[in-house]
Amino acid sequence: MSLIEVKNVRKGFGELEVLHDISFQVDKGEVICLIGPSGSGKSTMLRCINLLEDIDAGEIDVFDQDISELKDINSYRRRVGMVFQQFNLFGNLDVLNNCVLAQIRVLRKDRKEAEARALKELQKVGLGDFVHAYPSTLSGGQKQRVAIARALCMDPEILLFDEPTSALDPEMVGEVLNVIRQLADEDMTMVIVTHEMGFARDVADKVIFMDEGVIVEEGRPAQIFDQPKYDRTRQFLARIL
Amino acid sequence: MSFTKCIEILAKYYPSFLLGIRTTLIVAITGTLLGLLIGLFVGGVRAIRLDKTVSTSKRIMKRILDIIARIYIEVFRGTPMMVQAVFIYYLVYTSLVRWDKMTAAIFVISINTGAYMAEIVRSGIQAIDPGQNEAARSLGMSSMQTMMDVILPQAIRNAFPAIGNELIVNIKDSSVLMIISITELMFQSNSIAGTTYRFTETYFLTAMIYLLLTGLSSILLGMIEKKMNHTRTSLPQSDTSFSSISLANKGAKS
Repeated sequence: MSLIEVKNVRKGFGELEVLHDISFQVDKGEVICLIGPSGSGKSTMLRCINLLEDIDAGEIDVFDQDISELKDINSYRRRVGMVFQQFNLFGNLDVLNNCVLAQIRVLRKDRKEAEARALKELQKVGLGDFVHAYPSTLSGGQKQRVAIARALCMDPEILLFDEPTSALDPEMVGEVLNVIRQLADEDMTMVIVTHEMGFARDVADKVIFMDEGVIVEEGRPAQIFDQPKYDRTRQFLARIL
Repeated sequence: MSFTKCIEILAKYYPSFLLGIRTTLIVAITGTLLGLLIGLFVGGVRAIRLDKTVSTSKRIMKRILDIIARIYIEVFRGTPMMVQAVFIYYLVYTSLVRWDKMTAAIFVISINTGAYMAEIVRSGIQAIDPGQNEAARSLGMSSMQTMMDVILPQAIRNAFPAIGNELIVNIKDSSVLMIISITELMFQSNSIAGTTYRFTETYFLTAMIYLLLTGLSSILLGMIEKKMNHTRTSLPQSDTSFSSISLANKGAKS
């Protein structure tokens, strides 16, 4: 069954239409990688799924519900985690409290329970020793791993990654991708916007190539990377690989 | 000007100066704190950016609040506090209640400071990267929770130098409140000068006292600021709005 169903979505900013008639599906446990040149609408698509942007036409169904008709957006967002390119950690809170805050405020857990969970997720991403560090003292890779742990603390059923390694120094990309890889092994449903082609080939069940607001082609990684059907895909891959 | 005269005046009239200092500090400090409170509210309302999902009625309400806030800020920044003091004092006195002058003074300095604080708070909030707001919302937090737990603490910390500056301004500018004859430092100085006919010496002392008060405040504010910044960068047992972190730490190590 499909967890996410995107149907004929259109979205523009003013005069500029960035998504033209986008449709795709994500099944439970599937990992989808969205690839394509900058400005092709990948991030916008992702942000629409989390209602950070609204769509102009079409429909997005998540958990068998049209998300534009949701009454309680906050409880929907809790089930759909998001990891951002710029990490967006809370600067006033240490690593532990970055992971604790929403558990207390949204899930209404007591502090002890929330801290235990936060610690578990932080250990999972390899940052168990950094609970009292403030975001400003961490490296980019560490920040992004905290951001992933923070999202995991909410028990999301879907995780959305918006270019999670694009703001990182090259030597830190690996540590973040390894964490995502581990989540893929645990059958987390994920939609990942990425420029890391090796990673996409490795981890994705399905790769979607977008260009200029349309899906050019989609398929299994081997098919997209080794036998692309369209010239546009071929040209993009030739440029980036 | 004679320094011996200064000392004589100080020796004779120090109780009057002390009373003046006391009143000035009470008015300046409570005025700054209440002004900050007003500023947090008004500046907070002004800085809220509504999502696309918010209902039309809330949008209209926000629009109205925005307009009221704008008028309030423009009026109270755009007229002298001295004029505000006499006008508001007599307006309330003649048409509402026979209120106490001290209450009137604190009221006036608070709403005057509030207008400046609102702008300080607003720019402090707007300086926080909107990504943090998105991150909090993506975790399911409401806009109010996001504001209180994530945005405001950082906005206040960043705006602290400007907020502290308002206290210093208020210590000095509360002198205009002598117009409604509360016993603050300037008012006391006037009566001392009037009795001694030693204007230069008296106002020299007054200036020195103001300088002392603002100087001490400056040092104190600097210390608080340093402490605030310290919590942000230091690694061990730093805590902000939450407790019991040390508990978790023990748990982590055992």
